[in-house]
Amino acid sequence: MRDRLLARLLGLLGIAAVLGAWELAGRTGALNPVLVPRPSLVGQTLWHILSSGEFLGPLGHTLLLFATGYGLACLLGIVLGLLMGFSPALYGLFEPLVELIRPLPKSALVPALFLFLGIGPATMVTVVVLAAVFPVLINTLQGVRGIDPVLLDTARTFQCSRLRTLLAVVLPAAMPMILAGMRVGLGLGLVLVILAEMLAGESGLGYLILDLQRSFQIREMYAWIAILAAVGGSLALLFDWTDKRLVPWRGRA
Amino acid sequence: MIQSTAMPRLGGAARREAKRTSRAAVQPARPWLHTRASGLALILALLVLWEASARLGWVQSQSWPPFSAVLAAAWRGFTDGELSLPLLSSLGRMLAGYAIGCSLGVAVGLLLGGNRWIRYLVLPVLEVIRPIPIPAIVPPLILFLGIDDALKIFVVALASFVPALINTMAGVLGVDDVLLQTARTFRTGWTRTMLRVVLPATLPAIASGLRVAIGLALVVTIVAEMIAGSAGLGYYIVQMQYALRPDAMYAAVLCLALTGYTLNRLFLLGEARLIPWMGRG
Amino acid sequence: MLNRRSLLQTGAALAVAGTARAAELERVRVSIIPINDVTPLFVAIKQGFFEQEGLMVDTSPSSGGATGIPGLVAGSYDIAYGNVVSTMLAAQQGIELRVVAPGTKIQEAKNDHSALVVRRDSGIRSGQDLEGKVVGVNTRNNVIWLYARAWIKATGGNPDRVTYKEVPHPQMEDAIRQKQADAGYMVVPYVTLATAKPEFEKIAHPYSAVQLGVDVGQYLATAAFLQAKPETVAKFARALRRGITWYNANLTNPDLLPVISGFTKIEVPLLQTLTLAPSPLAVEPAQMEKTMQLMIEHRLLRGPVDVKPLIGPTAV
Repeated sequence: MRDRLLARLLGLLGIAAVLGAWELAGRTGALNPVLVPRPSLVGQTLWHILSSGEFLGPLGHTLLLFATGYGLACLLGIVLGLLMGFSPALYGLFEPLVELIRPLPKSALVPALFLFLGIGPATMVTVVVLAAVFPVLINTLQGVRGIDPVLLDTARTFQCSRLRTLLAVVLPAAMPMILAGMRVGLGLGLVLVILAEMLAGESGLGYLILDLQRSFQIREMYAWIAILAAVGGSLALLFDWTDKRLVPWRGRA
Repeated sequence: MIQSTAMPRLGGAARREAKRTSRAAVQPARPWLHTRASGLALILALLVLWEASARLGWVQSQSWPPFSAVLAAAWRGFTDGELSLPLLSSLGRMLAGYAIGCSLGVAVGLLLGGNRWIRYLVLPVLEVIRPIPIPAIVPPLILFLGIDDALKIFVVALASFVPALINTMAGVLGVDDVLLQTARTFRTGWTRTMLRVVLPATLPAIASGLRVAIGLALVVTIVAEMIAGSAGLGYYIVQMQYALRPDAMYAAVLCLALTGYTLNRLFLLGEARLIPWMGRG
Repeated sequence: MLNRRSLLQTGAALAVAGTARAAELERVRVSIIPINDVTPLFVAIKQGFFEQEGLMVDTSPSSGGATGIPGLVAGSYDIAYGNVVSTMLAAQQGIELRVVAPGTKIQEAKNDHSALVVRRDSGIRSGQDLEGKVVGVNTRNNVIWLYARAWIKATGGNPDRVTYKEVPHPQMEDAIRQKQADAGYMVVPYVTLATAKPEFEKIAHPYSAVQLGVDVGQYLATAAFLQAKPETVAKFARALRRGITWYNANLTNPDLLPVISGFTKIEVPLLQTLTLAPSPLAVEPAQMEKTMQLMIEHRLLRGPVDVKPLIGPTAV
């Protein structure tokens, strides 16, 4: 317990040291005040954005886009992964396509998506889905294939239907792998949410950061990046917290 | 925190392992082509659909060329160097950033894994920076690194640094206590223990970190070149889009897909050769 | 590509007997946007005007144009082509830039080729008709957006009742056709291609309609660079002006097309369908003042920017 407290303190010390060095470099003029504003000034701007509530609109836009895209990606990845893991025919049908699209930088597909889905939410959600779906899919597939054959044999002995076997045996056993894939998808999805907002230029944190850079409002830009970091960090923490509840046996193996 | 942040092993040994067991259990071994005939047919059908949609005017647009035109553009781009030169320059920047990011990542990962006081001090700083998506750090970085190679190499290095570090550290923390106790019994020094005992035991974890990093490195190179480019394949894609040469643009996208696939394959091949004990842990 | 170009430059420099050898040339790094407007710069490179001043110009294209000024500030470039609105925005934030040479200016209405394009059957004619509709612009809060708004206001519409959607130039035609945008502010060459089709029509040329003579883009340097190397800047401006003069005298010369194709990568047959507009020889401070007033009116600037000190001696 004392050790954990000490760890926390040291961690805060590390962060404080970085900010302190930055502040000092700003005050002594080692850093260009326009391009790299001091953290205290960024902090003031951040406080203004937070207290006035003006962060709610863009934040809501980003979170909505993320939730939609990431949710769809997880659903699609798990369903397709289970099916491909369970049925050799479906595996043969989709595997080459998956291997073709998976390594593609999704940002390169944006012009084509603009053409077919229009410049707006449909394209943005699709880009996020494309980014986040593959880790979930691949991990689900691995999870299903790594299942102990004894489990499946047992299910067969008890004459469970295929659907029941899938839901009651395969899914829970593959859960740790699936969640690990979803964790990777979370990061990738967030990256593409920001990129999509920059490219489609309507609203959201990504658009704001780019727009503020273009108009040289650097202090505001850093404040929004701080908000974005907090969002990314909170999402990751939330995920880990849920993960621990859902798979309490992970890590003990 | 450590276990859940460790990257899962995409593909690789685990997948090969899984494939082997499932094949043995579910289906008899069949030749690669046979099992995937339907999948290849699906891709072919999609390509025919693409060709027809452009040729027959189902999709009416300046920026939707038939697939055959894309292939022709790819051929032209490779013979006259218009496509191959940007590809090479992107790969050069990517490898530079990747090498820097990974070596630093592994070194810092070993350090953080090996000494908990340093870990307590440094890890929170990393945890604060880590969730910032790469595209968001490009605009501020442009302001002090400019938009030349330095920017792209830095961004790629940063993107590779994180998975390399996290995996290495998780690997070190996961080293069997018995090994460490044995080393202690023989009064092996810290450096020697790290190099002779911890590093080899950590190699599989490091390798999977490096593989995650190489996928990221390619994507990040292209993204950085698209946002702040003046050279490379990412810039080439944007340039062709603006020059109203969509056939050349899609040729570049196709070329990227092949590059990504090849890199991943090469990595798996090298991994199997260099770390034969991978996946047995 | 760079290598090939520097080889060519070396060749040209050697060919111009009696001028400085390549090794003695001073290197100037210039950020450009791969659009027709910077052709005079490439003419001056090809004709050897920069070598004759003792300069070797290294150009580097910037995709959106948004990285030109940041790259300048960061020291990646010595000189950057930038649009007037970005320059003002930078000035307001205390980033010290100087206009060192003229770039793009709408001198006559007949040479204003950029246009607001709509579907022919849309019935949209004025800014008033656009209220409640969607207008495509390449970037919001920038020069094209500003003049689209100003035109909407000038023709009886309330610019705040129009939605502005960011659409990259090459996708504008598709966006209007697919009704994702009701109108789009299009530039050369996309506007030429689109309006050659019967389904589209131009309804206005906002630049010339709102402010004939507007200085749209200029070559910029940081104040620090101008102060440190006034001679270099003067040489650059002198050589560029010779390029502009050559370009203006040869607008229909087929030799120009391979030059333009060289940096835009647009194929020559497509370039043949375009009409080239002459380039300006000087920047007009009064026009920049007008743009600044428009920016205040449309809330891009919080207050006035002192324009006079922004303009370096070589620009006028």
